[in-house]
Amino acid sequence: MIQSQRRIRLAALARAIVVVFLATGVSAGSQASSRPEFLRTTSEAGQPGGRLIIAEATEPKTFNPVTVIDRPSRDVVRRMTGDLIHINRETQRTEPALAKSWTASRDGKTFTLRLRRGIKFSDGVPFDADDVVFSFQVYLDEKIDYPQRSFLFIHGKPLQVQKLGPYTVRFSFVSPYAAAERLFDSVAMLPRHLLEQPYKEGKLNQAWGLDTPPDKMAGLGPFRVKQVVPGQRIVLERNQYYWKIDSKGQKLPYLDELVFVSIPSRDAQVVRFQAGEVQVLESLTAENFLAMEPEQKARHYKLYDVGPGLEYNFLLFNLNRGLESKLPEIARKQTWFRDVRFRQAISYAIDRAAIVRLVYQGKGAPLATLVTPGEKLWLDSSIPIPEHSVAKARQLLQSAGFSWKADGALVDSGGKPVEFTILASASNAQRAQMATLIQQDLKSVGISVHAVTLEFRSMVQRITDSHDYEAAIMGLAGGDSDPNEALDTLSSSGSTHLWALDEKPPLQPWQAQVDELMQKQLITMNYPGRKKVFDQVQQIVAREQPAVFLASPHILVAAHEGLGNIRPAIIENYLLWNSDEIFWRTPAGKR
Amino acid sequence: MKPWRKLSLVTVLLVGIHLLALLAGFVAPYNYATQDRDHPYARPSRIHFVDCAGKFHLRPFIYETSLREGTLNNYIEDCSQLQPIEFFLRGEKYALAGLVPADLHLFGVPSPARIYLLGADGFGRDEFSRVLYGAQISLFAGLLAAVLALSMGLLVGGVAGAFGGWVDEAVMRTAEIFIAVPWFYLLLGVRAVLPLEMSPLSAFVLVVAVIGLLNWGSPARLVRGVILSGRERNFVQAARGFGAGRGYLLRRHLLPMSFSVALTQMALLVPRFILAEVMLSFLGLGIGEPFPSWGNMLADAQQFHVLTAYWWMLLPALAPVPVFVAYHALADRLQERLQSAN
Amino acid sequence: MIRYLLRRLGHAIFLLFGVSLLLFFLMQLAPGDFFSTARLSGSISPASIHALRTEYGLDKPLPVRYLRWLNSVGHGDFGYSFAYNMPASALLLPRARNTLLLTVPCLLISWIIAVPLGVLAASRRGGWLDRFYSGGTSALLGMHDLLLALLALLLALRTGAFPTGGMMSLDAAGGLWANWKDVLWHMALPAIVLIVGSLAPILRHVRSTMLEVLDSHYIRAAEGHGVGRLTLLFRHALPAAANPLISLFGLSMALLIAGSMLVEVVMSWPGMGPMVLEAILARDMFLVVGAVLLSTIFLIAGNFIADILLYVFDPRIRINA
Repeated sequence: MIQSQRRIRLAALARAIVVVFLATGVSAGSQASSRPEFLRTTSEAGQPGGRLIIAEATEPKTFNPVTVIDRPSRDVVRRMTGDLIHINRETQRTEPALAKSWTASRDGKTFTLRLRRGIKFSDGVPFDADDVVFSFQVYLDEKIDYPQRSFLFIHGKPLQVQKLGPYTVRFSFVSPYAAAERLFDSVAMLPRHLLEQPYKEGKLNQAWGLDTPPDKMAGLGPFRVKQVVPGQRIVLERNQYYWKIDSKGQKLPYLDELVFVSIPSRDAQVVRFQAGEVQVLESLTAENFLAMEPEQKARHYKLYDVGPGLEYNFLLFNLNRGLESKLPEIARKQTWFRDVRFRQAISYAIDRAAIVRLVYQGKGAPLATLVTPGEKLWLDSSIPIPEHSVAKARQLLQSAGFSWKADGALVDSGGKPVEFTILASASNAQRAQMATLIQQDLKSVGISVHAVTLEFRSMVQRITDSHDYEAAIMGLAGGDSDPNEALDTLSSSGSTHLWALDEKPPLQPWQAQVDELMQKQLITMNYPGRKKVFDQVQQIVAREQPAVFLASPHILVAAHEGLGNIRPAIIENYLLWNSDEIFWRTPAGKR
Repeated sequence: MKPWRKLSLVTVLLVGIHLLALLAGFVAPYNYATQDRDHPYARPSRIHFVDCAGKFHLRPFIYETSLREGTLNNYIEDCSQLQPIEFFLRGEKYALAGLVPADLHLFGVPSPARIYLLGADGFGRDEFSRVLYGAQISLFAGLLAAVLALSMGLLVGGVAGAFGGWVDEAVMRTAEIFIAVPWFYLLLGVRAVLPLEMSPLSAFVLVVAVIGLLNWGSPARLVRGVILSGRERNFVQAARGFGAGRGYLLRRHLLPMSFSVALTQMALLVPRFILAEVMLSFLGLGIGEPFPSWGNMLADAQQFHVLTAYWWMLLPALAPVPVFVAYHALADRLQERLQSAN
Repeated sequence: MIRYLLRRLGHAIFLLFGVSLLLFFLMQLAPGDFFSTARLSGSISPASIHALRTEYGLDKPLPVRYLRWLNSVGHGDFGYSFAYNMPASALLLPRARNTLLLTVPCLLISWIIAVPLGVLAASRRGGWLDRFYSGGTSALLGMHDLLLALLALLLALRTGAFPTGGMMSLDAAGGLWANWKDVLWHMALPAIVLIVGSLAPILRHVRSTMLEVLDSHYIRAAEGHGVGRLTLLFRHALPAAANPLISLFGLSMALLIAGSMLVEVVMSWPGMGPMVLEAILARDMFLVVGAVLLSTIFLIAGNFIADILLYVFDPRIRINA
């Protein structure tokens, strides 16, 4: 009876299907309904046991999957939680997770997700559609500090969630949404049985702190909390109810324990890794990477250069409006910054190859736009990287009405010398170094630049609040390889449209065009069409240079050589994304 | 007798160090900001007398270096590019002691080759030149902050010690607050409110002055302690008995008494403020690029990859040591002199 | 004595008030707050940042925030950490314990080393020992704590003789004694760095104070009476120098705690250092205020111990008090 119902539903699905992933075991005989619908992975089968020690720059601060915002806490929480649809870090495409399959309606507005049956939270309580509905109720609630809420709003309207059955949930949007499946990635499914009460009492924001007893927390991730030693370490242990099995049918994860230790200094992280006290390092600077290379064999570790990541560094000029009365000096200089020829000239004057070589020790890629070579599916590779040409820069400056004095100093049409200040964050050595190189580069076209390093928050406050700056070097990184990640930076009203915040309506025709194209890609459902739209965006950005895009660093990681299934990726977490599959190859490597 | 002679020796050392800093432009072969992007992290140049062919040269020379194929900063000497070291040659322009324009350098090699006595940093800037130019900034910063802190300390501590009572109470409680509060908070604020057009040099001087003014707490406490115990001394008691006023006591007896303590403090403060600059660089409050200071050079050297791969970058970290030795020796001698005079 | 103690308590409370007020004011000066970088993560709307600021009272004027904070001190919370969503005191106390565990032995060892050495150097004024001593302390002062700590780490890595950080091994499941041994073993390296880094100023002070005393008339007189050298130095001169030295002892506690912040960061010692550094950069203000207040309390404790010692050793003070 149950089986026939499923057949009918399956047949119905097949007609409306855009994507259907079937996990193994779904259609396997009559006992299937009582057997948990585990996900079977295709990776190399490993052996269970052992412990992995992971370095974090700061202490993880919370286990709360809703309010978590800082990187170390996220690293921990993501090991403890599961999502419905997951982005495979290796292929950069979506794949089934807690939802074993899904269908999209033809108009692209509704998604029906079918959940795995027989799955349990790490405390043994079953997971079903009620948990999903509860989770989204929480995430959409205005009173809850959920940092990614805006992703769940399309055109200002929230996503609607509806339970169709104990294992079926329907999501509806007000308009078609191209990257709908990607939106589910890393949205943790919450245990209703544990969090509903604090939610109703209005205490959810404070729930699951570091002092919460481990048995009061549960999730759908491969690990669960075992022990917290303040200031020293957080220990996660294997979740025996985890819903994945390997190709041999062994239950995942392999590792017994994950230990997160906080090591504030980068240098100390490297030293402790080399000493074997830490077994994976997720973010290495190029300099440390090179310094560690000679001892790889002797100290039994392996270094991985994963190639350019999603971080892009850029030089932005202050293009905010309305500074005339408040900051007249900056407003005066804005007449230079607003001239596209000036920005293009700066772009030609900057030696991006030198940045890659001297700042990233060759472990980086020069950029033409904010799309890095790491975004293989989306980069418009026909756009050339601006060459380093002082001659072209001078030509452009001349055509824009600038001229040179006898001593080589550049002056504008009013005879005022061209001087400005570039801000860089003191806590990011790479960007401070870029400022030093650019300072020297711009000297060659007669521009005198002050490089000022400021403590990060002071600098951000100037850029986003007071607008009291002339130019700055910033870096941003998307959390996913998808055009939507650029939405906030490129749209004139976006929150990280840093060079001109709250630019409503768009100042320039090309900005209006970018706005329009970015909205268009949002609802373009097929990949080639979407790619074409996004290529157009990149071409406009490369031509207009709203900011001068500089370079993108490679993702550099290191792991003990005895670890199996280490497959680093450029999307967070570079190394730990498949922590459920990582295993110790040699029993000797187990600790 | 003897302390005087020692004092002159120390004076010679101190004057020498400061003169070297003042004449940095002449002694340094290059400007501190000149980059050589083909030689990042260049090793210290080897000075040869015998060339690759085994021939002896009376004039020392270096070989130009070039990158080993496929590496980023692994250099090999090119035997075909012999560059003799010349003295008193013309090179980059500079202002001697910040005033007289000149282009004569003590030593160097014919351009475009470059000599790196202490190696180069990540931008290919000559570390030797940067140490010398950095001395100008660091010595000045140390002296300025120390003088400010000490003057404040002497004034406040002297007043507290001499007047005693509620004045003493109020001053000492305030001093305690100033010692306990971490001042970098204020510094974050100070740098953030300074106008951006301000040159990095003047911004730096301002920050240093603020540090100096904020650190009056400890010197004031020490001065006050000496004065308090001094008040109990027989001859001061006697003077008071003869009707000497507070101002007189302070001027004639109490302040001179605290000088030895103040000088020891000074000798400790100058080096301490030179080092405080490292912390400033760490917080992004140090002197801005491209200016060198011992603080930011040291901060540069304190990195794993530098210590393991580019050891010569650590050499500038030794630069403060002779300065510290000289300052401390000066303080010791002065103290001896004061004591023997008492 | 009780009146004296009450007065000290009054001072301490005044100091804590002063420090906390000043800190609140200073933090107002530094631009940006805990939520100012939230906008950069793209997905947080300005409206919800505003809501967060309101929730944590960051939009209130300074006096209101200060009073609110005082109220939470009354409840033993010392304010609330934005980043951890927890009372600051619960976060700081275990870490303060670890900081003390490291610094107090270092303080004692520093003085145990410094006093005999300083006395010896002062007694051989101008000799080779004294010169070496002066040169050595100057060179030591020229070394920055950060550099020392990093060099120590590299040494530990090369030799494998010491752990390269942390306070305890992961498998420290032995008995009490085994655990202590484990902690001591982890402590060795940071302690050495801390002692080497803080020794020089103390050494210099002991020497200069002793020189002053040795120059005084009554010591000269004692010398003239043929009092033995060691007796003279340690029985007569050292007690006479006790007053300034004991004052410095109180202060050196504060210096050592300040120095240990940096060492803790590099050696990943789980004390207040790493947490405070992060809190400062993140503008997690109550955590910073709490940490500074705790170190102020340590400073007060140090001074208090110094006062008691002075009271015991220096009869002149006793008469005045």
